[in-house]
Amino acid sequence: MHQLSAIELRDKFLNKEVSALQIVDYFLKRIDSYDGQIGAFLTVYHDQAREHAKKLDDKLAKGEPLGKLAGIPIAIKDNIHVKGELSTCASQFLTNFKAPFDSTVVKLLKAEDAVIIGKTNLDEFAMGSSTENSSVQLTRNPWNLTCAPGGSSGGSAAAVAARLVPLALGSDTGGSIRQPASLCGVVGYKPTYGRVSRFGLVAFGSSLDQIGPFATNTADAALVMEVIGGHCDRDSTSIPHKRETYLEKFDKTLEGTTIGVPFEFLKDLKGDSKQAFEQSLETFKEKGASIVEVDLSTLKYSIAVYYILATAEASTNLARFDGVRYGIRAPDAETLDQVYDRSKEIGFGHEVKRRIMLGTFVLSTGYQDAYYKKAQKVRTLMIEQYKKAFETCDLIAMPVATSGAFKIGSKKDPLEMYLEDIYTISINLAGLPAVSVPNGFTSHSLPLGLQLIGPQKEDVRVLSMAHAFESETSFNKLPPQFED
Amino acid sequence: MANKDKWETIIGLEIHSELNTKSKLFSAAPNRFGDEPNTNITEVCTGMPGALPVLNKEAVRKAVQLGCALEAEVAKFSKFDRKSYFYPDSPRNFQITQFDQPIILGGHVVAEVEGEEKTFEIDRVHLEDDAGMLKHFSGFAGVDYNRAGVPLVEIVSKPCIHSPKEAVAYAMAIKAILQYLDASDCNMEEGSLRFDANISVRLKGEKGFRNKAEIKNMNSFSNMQLALESEIKRQIKLYEDNPDTDPNELMGQATYRWDPDRKETVLMRRKEHADDYRYFPEPDLVPIVLTDAYIEEIRSSLPELPLQRERRYVSELQLAPDAAFVLTSDKPLADYFEEALKICHRPRQMCNWLIVEFAGRFKDTGTHLTTSGIPAEHVGKLVQMIDAGKITGRIAKSVADDMVASPGKDPELIVAENPDYQPMDDNEALEGIVDKVLSEHAQSVEDFRNGKDKAFSFLVGQIMKATRGKASPETVNQMLKAKISQ
Amino acid sequence: MAHLDKEMIEYLSDLSRIDLSEKEQQALLSDLESILTYIDLLNEVDTEGVEPCNHVLADMQNVMREDEIGEVMPREIFLSNSPAQIGGMIRVPPVIKGK
Repeated sequence: MHQLSAIELRDKFLNKEVSALQIVDYFLKRIDSYDGQIGAFLTVYHDQAREHAKKLDDKLAKGEPLGKLAGIPIAIKDNIHVKGELSTCASQFLTNFKAPFDSTVVKLLKAEDAVIIGKTNLDEFAMGSSTENSSVQLTRNPWNLTCAPGGSSGGSAAAVAARLVPLALGSDTGGSIRQPASLCGVVGYKPTYGRVSRFGLVAFGSSLDQIGPFATNTADAALVMEVIGGHCDRDSTSIPHKRETYLEKFDKTLEGTTIGVPFEFLKDLKGDSKQAFEQSLETFKEKGASIVEVDLSTLKYSIAVYYILATAEASTNLARFDGVRYGIRAPDAETLDQVYDRSKEIGFGHEVKRRIMLGTFVLSTGYQDAYYKKAQKVRTLMIEQYKKAFETCDLIAMPVATSGAFKIGSKKDPLEMYLEDIYTISINLAGLPAVSVPNGFTSHSLPLGLQLIGPQKEDVRVLSMAHAFESETSFNKLPPQFED
Repeated sequence: MANKDKWETIIGLEIHSELNTKSKLFSAAPNRFGDEPNTNITEVCTGMPGALPVLNKEAVRKAVQLGCALEAEVAKFSKFDRKSYFYPDSPRNFQITQFDQPIILGGHVVAEVEGEEKTFEIDRVHLEDDAGMLKHFSGFAGVDYNRAGVPLVEIVSKPCIHSPKEAVAYAMAIKAILQYLDASDCNMEEGSLRFDANISVRLKGEKGFRNKAEIKNMNSFSNMQLALESEIKRQIKLYEDNPDTDPNELMGQATYRWDPDRKETVLMRRKEHADDYRYFPEPDLVPIVLTDAYIEEIRSSLPELPLQRERRYVSELQLAPDAAFVLTSDKPLADYFEEALKICHRPRQMCNWLIVEFAGRFKDTGTHLTTSGIPAEHVGKLVQMIDAGKITGRIAKSVADDMVASPGKDPELIVAENPDYQPMDDNEALEGIVDKVLSEHAQSVEDFRNGKDKAFSFLVGQIMKATRGKASPETVNQMLKAKISQ
Repeated sequence: MAHLDKEMIEYLSDLSRIDLSEKEQQALLSDLESILTYIDLLNEVDTEGVEPCNHVLADMQNVMREDEIGEVMPREIFLSNSPAQIGGMIRVPPVIKGK
């Protein structure tokens, strides 16, 4: 069953070839057998998922209508709320925190009869590019267990890569869905900013965060978008459009499309990544797409801009974790000051502290103009440059990561880790939709991904063209170790 | 105090008023006072991770309405900002407020100060969310988030107030506008209306401003006046006692609270350096963009405002301007006044009974005439009885005391039940009393005949005393005149 | 050119209310210094006359809701995650009056 797509699984369930309970039991067994080696899951909802599956079987037996995701198990990144269940954000601060409400996306998934099967590991508070910043456990890349799965949604990416689940949700602030998708050889999609509700997502970078799907193929990812991609009145930054249909709009032809490539910006790309990227461009050309050069010179500032704006927003978003209302409170705190200072001291990991301090600095009096305001202006320039680029092309193509998965523990310098995000970060700054689809392997058999980026709100176009590319290639493979 | 003339005072008032919307500013929790702690909350106003703010359109409308009433400029574009500081009553440890692009700019308000109409300039008005309540106990504190997230308008005056009396008049005028718009409960005791003052002094003619003190916890108009007067005295003394010290060293920026028991301003904290609130635009909210049509619709449907009502009372009812100001500054009282006038149309007397006589009886009791249970009709009847000569002014004061003691008891009944309140209409008995007084005070009679008019008043007083105030003053006057002139 | 010194780290630690050990302060000082040096890259961008981007969806405005009471969070759920509570309130150590 793990070799089937989510859509195929659902159809088998609806056709009564297999029961929802059988599906859920199958994947629970896979999780129990393999996740010990991978460490993708923080919690698995064995009982709840089975109960839910039984209910779905009842519903089907009674002839009641069932939703788009009926019977499909889905894993949720642990910074997205499932009511009554733990949302730890992989932080010591929230080890006992039970979500008091459902996130909008989980509500929508439940309404379409998806089976929430568990919560996945992440970099603490989504800050990181390798999931190594999780304060709970390590997640390993199913393609090579000594390598990181990428981050911050490493758990979700690894779970789908090893086919422990057919679908998962992650969040993307600077590449946190796309980069792990590419490093794990799966499809990862970041919607246009505001397309998917952020209500119930623990905020990191408010103007950058989006929730999106991981899947083994683009059609499955699109199916999830049909369910979660619509206006939410609990989120003021939510685009005022109803949910869209994707699948019926899929167009398999690339004939006549134009792909923009920022060759100048990509000049430092080398090795296997470069090869795979160039090969992808050839594929596009072979199928009738034309390639044009676009000027995205401002993108070289994207990391600098991001680490000012995202940390500024995060420093205030995380201020609420103070040991007062919820989460950990330092047991030896006797005064209020100690409650604050010590709870944060023991609750937050190094990366989180680093980013909060940086964010506080760039907003502080005397520095705000030079840092925060300056970054906001450069952001405007980037958005304008992207807009201009899209005047000459339908989509922009870029690599996702600079290389394949790196060894766990190999990147100790924070700045070195930040620079990993060079190809993905600007997309969040501009609020654009972007997908990572597998497009090759390194000489060490580690997956690589191609990034396709669209103008704001052109989510359907991005997934459709990604689907076309996917149809012409065959990089959706299972990691050898988890093939059975 | 002779020294006071050398100095002038500069005061700026910041007024925070809760808006009486049904739900909070960014959270759909109920906006209610007095319920069990933490029962009017949602994930938004308790700062739960994953919660997001959504703006209440009624709060925006009330803010615009206030701006129109203040004849201010309503900003076509305004936005929200995060203001960061740590405190347990702050659910997110940042407040969502409006920093550099507030919804209302400028404006002014007119108030009656010591017989003169004064215009006070306003700097700006903006929307922000309130904090929760911290309750202090011995050994610990408790936090209640019912109030967290309630919509506030913050009204900032320009530093154009120059005396405690002006400050009180300004504050009364603002409160009145909020009441007339039905924008707020304006309850200073419950905290839905709060006043902070920034106050400094300087020598007359001195250029520039000296450091100011921030005064908090002025929870009534009388406390405001006392607090500001006390602070002015304190600052002047500080400067005069240390003439050779640099004023900036003597007075650092600091916050004081008014202590009603010690009757002085007490230091709360010094500001070593300005708080670094790190304001930046709120990314979870989008800007407010208002059209001329929207603003005009609100402006043209404003209810009668206090100043208009005050001027109406002066021109149509011939009330004195400062009496009209006091009366109209409290909308429930002005409404009460108009109700009472329906019974007896004697505006000046009625006004006096409300803002002097009854106000005095309720001072410091914690209640007001309008919430005392004494219906307006009863005050109307009281004045009517005086007007018809059924009781004297003096008796009426006793009746008023009884009305306060037994709210809801009809004054006509009070008078009927008490023989002491019946006017004296027995002229024979009165004559007897007059004769008696004249015989007991022969000297005064002599004095009057010799030209001392005061003696006449004295005799009238003695007669009134003897009748225990029940005789009609006019009758006494006539009788006495007649007898003395014989 | 150094952007930060120990005093600044202490100030930031104070503002963000995070206690840092001596070792952490040192590590942070050097990490933040290298990140800020990298960020200096922005100085070469000419942003004269450019508006700051406050919202990436430039046409979004006036998102408001009706003044209606929504779903209230039950107090038990709110308090179920709290480290200390008393009489329905969140309990904290004694606080000096005023901020």
